[in-house]
Amino acid sequence: MGDKKGLLFDATLCIGCGACYEACKERNQLPRTAAHFLEDRLSDQTYTVVKRRGGRFVRQLCMHCEVPTCVSVCPVGALEKTATGPVIYHEARCIGCRYCMLACPFGIPKYEWRKILPRVRKCDLCADRLAAGRPTACAEVCPTGATRFGDRQALIEEARARIRAHPQKYVPRIYGLEEVGGTSVLLLSDVPFERLGYRTDLLSEPLPLLTWQVLQKIPNFVVVGSVLLGGIWWITNRRREVQLREHQQREVREPSASESADPSHEEP
Amino acid sequence: MTRWSFRRPSFWQLVFAVILGVGLYSTVVRFTGGLGASTALSDAFPWGLWVGFDVLCGVALAAGGFTLSAVVYIFNIERFRPIIRPTILTAFLGYVLVIVALLFDLGRPYRIWHPLVMWNPHSVMFEVAWCVMLYTTVLALEFSPMVFERLRLERPLRILHALTVPLVILGVILSTLHQSSLGSLYLIVPEKLHPLWYSPLLPVFFFISAIALGCAMTIFESFLSYRAFRKRLEIDLLADLGKVIVVTLAVYLVLKVQDLAGRGVLSRVVEPTYEGRMFLAEMLLGVIGPILLLSLRRIRTDHFGLFVSAVLVVLGFIMNRLNVSITGMEASSGVSYFPSWTELSVTLMIVALGFALFGAAAKYLPVFPERERLPAPTLVEPPAVAVLRRPWIGTTPLVLILGGLFFIGAMGSAYSGLQHRERALAAAPPTSEESEPEIADGLERFEVPPDVTFPQGEASPGPVTFRHASHLNWERPNCTICHHEPFRMLKAFGSVASPPARDLHDERHCGRCHDGRTSFSVKEECTACHRP
Repeated sequence: MGDKKGLLFDATLCIGCGACYEACKERNQLPRTAAHFLEDRLSDQTYTVVKRRGGRFVRQLCMHCEVPTCVSVCPVGALEKTATGPVIYHEARCIGCRYCMLACPFGIPKYEWRKILPRVRKCDLCADRLAAGRPTACAEVCPTGATRFGDRQALIEEARARIRAHPQKYVPRIYGLEEVGGTSVLLLSDVPFERLGYRTDLLSEPLPLLTWQVLQKIPNFVVVGSVLLGGIWWITNRRREVQLREHQQREVREPSASESADPSHEEP
Repeated sequence: MTRWSFRRPSFWQLVFAVILGVGLYSTVVRFTGGLGASTALSDAFPWGLWVGFDVLCGVALAAGGFTLSAVVYIFNIERFRPIIRPTILTAFLGYVLVIVALLFDLGRPYRIWHPLVMWNPHSVMFEVAWCVMLYTTVLALEFSPMVFERLRLERPLRILHALTVPLVILGVILSTLHQSSLGSLYLIVPEKLHPLWYSPLLPVFFFISAIALGCAMTIFESFLSYRAFRKRLEIDLLADLGKVIVVTLAVYLVLKVQDLAGRGVLSRVVEPTYEGRMFLAEMLLGVIGPILLLSLRRIRTDHFGLFVSAVLVVLGFIMNRLNVSITGMEASSGVSYFPSWTELSVTLMIVALGFALFGAAAKYLPVFPERERLPAPTLVEPPAVAVLRRPWIGTTPLVLILGGLFFIGAMGSAYSGLQHRERALAAAPPTSEESEPEIADGLERFEVPPDVTFPQGEASPGPVTFRHASHLNWERPNCTICHHEPFRMLKAFGSVASPPARDLHDERHCGRCHDGRTSFSVKEECTACHRP
């Protein structure tokens, strides 16, 4: 499985120079959105930011989950997890329900609120560059190797090697190895991840399983439900017919004004 | 049909006109300015009132349709037939208005049909979309006999009549799926929705409460019709629905308590927090109050008592849906959401349209049974029991006291919740910049980008070699100062679109810092950069 790409971000190596931020802006032709890049936040015009958190610089970008929540919740398949790793967006399909934004455990997808015909915007792991055999723009410009591009498996090995080499330095954990079933973007740090602004209370299995457990029961439910309801109708209807007949027979014997329970619609 | 609209003072019509006018203005704002201009929604809070009220509540309030049609057509409990048509009408209008609301809320409303051809069966929203489409169709078919009867079209009536039972079965299945799926929507946000509402049983809670809500809406709208159109009130039937509400709510309550206890968050119900107080309000209003009121036969069989109880259920579950979609999501989003006036006025317009359409249908279509049925059986009690049960207080005051108690209790709880939110927001520490980040390890590995030589231009004293190393603040390197548009990054993008030499002096390029203040000026020391 050497074709699954990913990024490894090592917070201990980031010097907060903003090269990744600027390269991302350039590659996606996005306008300036902040006086200083450290003050910027993710938006429809900013797909990655560098933040000061917990005494470190840390990046924020789409994690490109292995089993992405956004892909699973999109009713029209406008988001897609590609074979090489990137989670990409098919603008022509999107109906604008914004369920991806609600559901993303990392709060990544952003919306073009100011536009009449808005789109969902986020990092696409430079899918076109990957297809051309090149690394992501952010990884290519990083001057310290804090953001490394490579095969996800190789990056995991590399991260393990770094932790082994400096056990007293690193938090002994690769963020993104198991979070919500694993992500293509992996993080290393020497301060606890929650201090970097990364949630450490996420489930380790993919979130789409939570809804799939319910959704997969639908076909069965429809079949069993229809048969059950049909059966109930059959029984109650038969009982009513019998009652009606008995009623009519009684009426023949002792005619009296009685309500006829006509199952059909009322006459106008 | 009476011409009630002419006899009544035009107060309500005036109100309707104002609501419609403001709503239409908001509609223009929405479709010319976009969602950003017309809503209080944001990246942190992408779903607001239009989803929380118009869609979630709209669907739930239409639940009477499938509940009663199951009772009448599948369980063959014929007594309820007189109230089935207004209920189906309500459901049909409810669904049509939900679709209208969706057209407002979707970013690309003209693509609302996409789920028909672009499938993703893993998405709850996909299920929701299909349920809305199919069930609205079923409701249209269930509603259409009223139109055909009016037009005296016998053939379609016969066809529809033959289809009734399969249609009803389909409708019940679709409704069950749809009501529950609106709860399932939130199954995927375990880390975002507050634990008082997040539960693996969300779909079950949404479904059960929809049944109670459907019955309550049937009672509510029967009373409105009774008042507005002088329709006969089937009080005995409605009292039976009241019983159904008690049983359904009791099941809901037991499940809810079990669920909260099972997840170990029962104690958070009484915690003095925003969420805790709002949850308590919702339960008092929609569950505990109505169970108590409707358990009392005197109240259940009393016009006013039944009406008040139904209103409590409706308000309580509107609050529940808003709590799931808004209150419970606020803390994790980090922002507090309150709908904009545009969102509110559109919602109000949609509700008003619902009332108006119902009124019009009631006026022109055979919605209510014209034929008088046998007099309803009066509630006869043995004299001895009647004496024993002689009320010590009139029913109306009793309803007022009990209903008022729960209503005020719930409102007080909600108010206290809002106070707690204010306090929490005020107490939240300002996000201060932390200590200067540690970058020693990174600097050790810092590969300074190579020098760049700009060729000598016309009348230039010499070529310029730009040295990254001498232009870096080694305490705190910042690439973004120069590397925005004019100076593209060579390494990542292959080629540098080298600007014409004379432009390099301007304030967008070298001249930006070499201005005589930050550093020596481009106008003075030429040979500092141009080395012949």
